[in-house]
Amino acid sequence: MASSAILGYASAKTIPDNEHIVGPIIATFAIISWWEATRVLRLYNVPLAVWLLLAPWVLGYDHSLATANSMIVGALVLGLSFVKGKIEDSYGGGWASLLKSDSVHAKEAQKRGKR
Amino acid sequence: MEINKLDAIPPGWSYNPASWGQRLPIVGFALVGLAIATYLALFQLHVFDTVWEPFFGGDSRKILTSATSKILPIPDAALGAIGYFVDALAGIIGGIRRWRTMPWIVIVFGLAVGPLGFISVLLVVLQPVLYDAWCTLCLCSAAVSVIMIGPAMDEMLASLQYMKRAKDANISTWKVFWGYKEVQGKVL
Repeated sequence: MASSAILGYASAKTIPDNEHIVGPIIATFAIISWWEATRVLRLYNVPLAVWLLLAPWVLGYDHSLATANSMIVGALVLGLSFVKGKIEDSYGGGWASLLKSDSVHAKEAQKRGKR
Repeated sequence: MEINKLDAIPPGWSYNPASWGQRLPIVGFALVGLAIATYLALFQLHVFDTVWEPFFGGDSRKILTSATSKILPIPDAALGAIGYFVDALAGIIGGIRRWRTMPWIVIVFGLAVGPLGFISVLLVVLQPVLYDAWCTLCLCSAAVSVIMIGPAMDEMLASLQYMKRAKDANISTWKVFWGYKEVQGKVL
């Protein structure tokens, strides 16, 4: 979000605009992924990271520092998006369980009903 | 944990996402957001002549008086304040079993927190792209609303799982959603 101002290519229009759009969205998905129940949102950053790797060529960046910045940040986000981290709590089978009937929470509810 | 609170934990879960310990911090964030948005709205409504901006000079004024901020009949910060108020209210209503006794409030809570956060992010994008300016308190408000999304979603998941179990047991989703007495306890 701040790289164009810091690295000194704020006057180029396309590069800062691209970064000002992609930056907040990546930060948002990353923050939502802080919590275990929504950890899956880290994967939403994968296409955005790939876009950062491609953007210098697709948009024709004419600033080498901006290109390097985009590649480094893109590679970091891509790599870190695949780090799942620790999941210490259980969530009744999670979001995927909403699409099936034989889920963790359904089985557990049946067990509890018999007690 | 006390025995009488154990049934408040959704089946297959290791904790209760509707406990006060889970909900009050989100309500706290909503109140912080409400305070920021109210202050910004009062500036937009000309109650205050200046707005606090420690880093970006006149940028805050530029953002808060921009065309985007006036797109709706009321200033955008006032809309944000209403959003935060709904978040806080929907966070506080109901007991620790509300994920199954009143799914509607949990869903309202999730829907209020989620989209409000995403609109905040959109506004963050528009600041530099359309106006080449940053507004510190607007960024703080956006950060607050994004931080609230994750912790609100686990409770919504518990409610949706409960409604799914009720649906699989052929119980009226409508009655379950509104927490009708007659369907309480039919599914755990």
